[in-house]
Amino acid sequence: MEDQEVLTTLKILIIGESGVGKSSLLLRFTDDTFDPEQAATIGVDFKVKTLTVDGNKAKLAIWDTAGQERFRTLTPSYYRGAQGVILVYDVCSKQSFAKLDAWLNELETFATKHDMVKMLVGNKIDKEKREVSKDEGLKFARKHHMLFIEASAKTKEGVQCAFEELVEKEGIDSAEEDDGTSQAR
Amino acid sequence: MAAEEDGDVFEITDFTTASEWERFIARLEEVFHEWKLVNREPRPPIPKGKLTEGLWEEKTEEVIFADFKFLVTYTYLKTNQVDGESESARNSQERDEGDGDSCEDEHKIPNLQQKWRKLYSGVAVAPGAGVQFEMAHLKKIPSQYTHLAGLLDVFKSKIGCAYVSLPPVSVSVRFTYILEDWIHSPWPQLPPDFSSFAEGEVGCTELDVLPFGACEDPVKELHLSCTWPSLSEDMIVENNAYSDLDPLQAPQWSVRIQMTEDQQCLLGQYLRAFLQLCTLTETTDDILGRLTTEGNDADKDSNDDITHALHRLTEPSLPYHIPSLGSVVSRATTHLKIKPEEAPVPPSLLNEILLHLFPDATGLKTSASRHTKEKHQTSRELTPVEDTAPASARSQRLEEVTAEVMKQIKSAPSDSLTYRLAVAFIIINHNHGGLRALAHLWQEFILEMRYRWENSILIPDLGTGSVSPRTVCSKPSVGSIPQPNLGSCLLHQKLQMLNCCIERRIKRESAGYGHEDTALHEAPSSVFEPATSLCQRDVPDNSSQTGARAERAESFASSSDEEFFECDDGEDNIAVDTDDDKIVSEANIKKQKFSHKKSLTSEKSIESSVSETSFKDSFTFRAEGRLAQIKNLHSLATGEPLYIPVTQEPSPMTEDMLEEHAEVLAKLGTTAEGSKLRARMQSACLLSDMESFKAANPGCILEDFVRWYSPRDYIDDEEEEGIDVTDRNVIEEDDQEKKEHGFDGDSLNRCKDGQSKASFDKASVAPPLEAASPAKEPKRKGQLSQRMQIPGNMWVEVWQSARPVPARRQKRLFDDTKEAEKVLHYLAGLRPGEVVLHLLPVVVHASILKLVEKEDPEVPVLKTLTDQVISKATKVTRMPYPPELKQYEEVIRLIELAETVFSRAQSLKTKLTRDLLERGKAEEELHHFVASLLQQPEVTVRGGPFGPAGSVVHRLFVASQKAAHMVVEERLEESDLGDHSLSLDVSRPPSTIPDFPPPAAREYILRAMIPHPTPYSRVLPQRMYCVLVEGDYRLAGAFCSDTTFL
Repeated sequence: MEDQEVLTTLKILIIGESGVGKSSLLLRFTDDTFDPEQAATIGVDFKVKTLTVDGNKAKLAIWDTAGQERFRTLTPSYYRGAQGVILVYDVCSKQSFAKLDAWLNELETFATKHDMVKMLVGNKIDKEKREVSKDEGLKFARKHHMLFIEASAKTKEGVQCAFEELVEKEGIDSAEEDDGTSQAR
Repeated sequence: MAAEEDGDVFEITDFTTASEWERFIARLEEVFHEWKLVNREPRPPIPKGKLTEGLWEEKTEEVIFADFKFLVTYTYLKTNQVDGESESARNSQERDEGDGDSCEDEHKIPNLQQKWRKLYSGVAVAPGAGVQFEMAHLKKIPSQYTHLAGLLDVFKSKIGCAYVSLPPVSVSVRFTYILEDWIHSPWPQLPPDFSSFAEGEVGCTELDVLPFGACEDPVKELHLSCTWPSLSEDMIVENNAYSDLDPLQAPQWSVRIQMTEDQQCLLGQYLRAFLQLCTLTETTDDILGRLTTEGNDADKDSNDDITHALHRLTEPSLPYHIPSLGSVVSRATTHLKIKPEEAPVPPSLLNEILLHLFPDATGLKTSASRHTKEKHQTSRELTPVEDTAPASARSQRLEEVTAEVMKQIKSAPSDSLTYRLAVAFIIINHNHGGLRALAHLWQEFILEMRYRWENSILIPDLGTGSVSPRTVCSKPSVGSIPQPNLGSCLLHQKLQMLNCCIERRIKRESAGYGHEDTALHEAPSSVFEPATSLCQRDVPDNSSQTGARAERAESFASSSDEEFFECDDGEDNIAVDTDDDKIVSEANIKKQKFSHKKSLTSEKSIESSVSETSFKDSFTFRAEGRLAQIKNLHSLATGEPLYIPVTQEPSPMTEDMLEEHAEVLAKLGTTAEGSKLRARMQSACLLSDMESFKAANPGCILEDFVRWYSPRDYIDDEEEEGIDVTDRNVIEEDDQEKKEHGFDGDSLNRCKDGQSKASFDKASVAPPLEAASPAKEPKRKGQLSQRMQIPGNMWVEVWQSARPVPARRQKRLFDDTKEAEKVLHYLAGLRPGEVVLHLLPVVVHASILKLVEKEDPEVPVLKTLTDQVISKATKVTRMPYPPELKQYEEVIRLIELAETVFSRAQSLKTKLTRDLLERGKAEEELHHFVASLLQQPEVTVRGGPFGPAGSVVHRLFVASQKAAHMVVEERLEESDLGDHSLSLDVSRPPSTIPDFPPPAAREYILRAMIPHPTPYSRVLPQRMYCVLVEGDYRLAGAFCSDTTFL
């Protein structure tokens, strides 16, 4: 039953500086757990989750990447064919926020789909020493036509919502695209 | 009993005796009920034009009368309303001859007689009025009714109101003339010259110019319709003897162009022929097998025999001396000697093709030196430029589209080898022997590829590929080699991959050791040495290292695959030696500190003991493979400045390799176990980097590595302490920063967005620097992040297993030999059909460029079509391999369409030239006319017969008429000499040739408003349409009658 109704498989990529909590966000989303001792990702990791948005089932193949610069040599290949990308920064690290531009640059260089849905996630809002305000995040997202949400992998806040929003948006976009092609034919 | 019979409960309806007719009617009623046509509410009137423009739908049922089948068809207009049909016309069409006599309803138009006659009759019933539809169809035209006068008689007798004074009948007439002979403008397209190859005059131009245009004249006929709309019957006379209807006097002219159906176009033909090959599954051996075995028998000794070459290909372990391209000529001639008639591609042609594909080969013949830039340039010059020299506007468009197409379509650049190969393939397929020739050529191509790999000669014109991701990401890495461009087609990527391998091989061999390029390797360090004033003791160390490296050069030249761990002779370890005690003591301190930590586990202590042993190792070897000093970062263990090591380049990958890689990773599943395995699989790069780091920084610890590699995983405890210390270093830092900038700029010039990347880089290096302790205070100021301290985590594990080995002595992460063999094997394994499939995107790309080149600004529809082709091709070429051929068929169909439109435009332009214009300034009007003809089915001639376009059409007809009569005359004169010649001359003086031929079709519409059927009935419209064509005479009348006042 479940397998039958899965309409689409969406490839989603999570990128961002090292230590901003990409793997933790993913773990929270897929397994609904939080591991304070989450090991640093080497290369890329991979998880799958089926999600129902607006009654449509979508299978998400989520590629979690390492933030270290050296590992980035491989990640560009994972941009290929990705329908969505989640760009994560740490609200307690100005530096991780400052590097978003560079990440977007890389995304533009290597993404193959021009209509890729981009989402900005400010993680670790449970922490006290906040360095990036919500407003700054909003502004950045607006400037670059992204979805935006603040979340905490630790407290669960915003995580589910982020992924659902992305899939929903992706669904709309792909539907529009389909219309376009059918009309062209 | 009687009561029962009376009661309606048991009333029996007996159908056993129902006649065929009753059953037929019942079935018909049933059908009407099924279609919900009975007792319908009247619908809103149909908007004007809807009947012709709207979508029509049909429902069909079979009704049987006795043993005869009728088809009842319900044809209705589809509307947006839920209850769709707004028009109900029912056609019961008879399959065979028979009476269409059947039911009555509001609109009923049964088809009578045979279907092809399109003969209908019927009635329509509206409240208070009815319309009778009648038709007459004759093959032979009764002479008394071939003109307006006769038709008027028919009409009047039909409406039969002789007793009323009939109002004048309104008459519309339309005559159509057909022009078939285009006297002044025969089809201009020259048939492609296939003879040139056969005659031995072979030139490159034939191999890289796609044919274009229609094979035959796309314009068949011109139909001129002269219309006299709505005249009163009194105003116009046409009878047996006389006619007012002179086409030159007609108020309205319109022109239709009858195009050749199923237009054959050259490019389309080539493309279709090429596409067909994709479905073929024969292998090269199937195709060439017979030939090669025969060739083998004929000359077993010949080294140049293709059989040997093939043999060698399948057994790559054999030592081979594949003939160089330079000797391809001689080899080919050897072929000629062996079996000249057997070779699918004649040797001379083969040489020509190969020289065309590899223009650098001429240079290779004389000097065995490598492919240089100069040659590159000459090769560019050799490549013939596109033949046309278009106007500036057009060339601008060409440029725009070329750039656009390159971005969108997964193909290969138009100056690339792949592109040339594709175009040569499609032409050779069509002109020089089809699949066999392609198979032969492909073998030659693979031989050349292998030759180039074996002899370390770069393949020309494969483009630079995409910038290596690592270069874009700021870490300076040495000798970055372009990656295959993932935006190009797979075959192009494969060839680029091969080129990457060759490039690495060249670097490996020219450097004489390892797999790095000496020049690239040395340059940065020499830039850096003056800058490292902080640590001058390293300078001699570095330079001596260079010397040592050179010494070692030879020993590593051949055995780059092996892992080396070589102890140093200690000649230059003075500097390190002086620090020995310090290092040891620090290590001890560190060890103590670790033991204080609560989180420390047994594994951790193992790690520290391991690191201690590695320190001991480090006493006996010196730093190696340094790329640059990390600004102001010093080892926490030794206090030495930390150096960025030379690291291994990322492996170039083609898209199929990437997919495979990702698939393998994905297959490991989503379990924790899977994740761990995945991480382990990907740790090779980490290990390599750690080893390089250890080699470059003797005695370093994981903390040092992490501060370089993943700065955010090193957390500073007491940030304040560092501040004044860093202040002290400000000046030196500035100095260094400048240098580092210079360096950064150097390495980043290659990337697209140098500036932002530079800032990216700076940001990543800077923060830990400021916090890092200077040389004088090598005390611990921070600690690894929590996750790096997790016992048994991959980083610690890999760090422990990493030995200090500089990148150049490590096992190669990218094995160029293996990868090159893989590519060559892949190419050799392709069936010719698959090769064709691989080349399709490039061929489509080439066709699009051809379309753009031929684009005509005066025919805007061409541009639209081209854009359509591009967007379709973009989608198709981006589909995963192997693509659906149907999609390609669609693209090719579009290309053919554009080609056809182009040919039509070209043909029309030559036919309706301005030479035929009386006034030169009307040229614009003529252009407009031609453009309209291409886009609209029927074009009204502005200004009628006397407008500029009209006069041109008139002249065309006159010319055609004259020619036609001349031809007849000549023919007659030839056939019957003598006797009749005199009488012929008399009967046909030149002046009697009419301007126009007899009309091919004459149409009349007669209309009247009269009361019917009685003089006191309402006035209702009556109409009759008549068409007179050769062999087809048809009258269709619609006669209204009042149903109330009979």
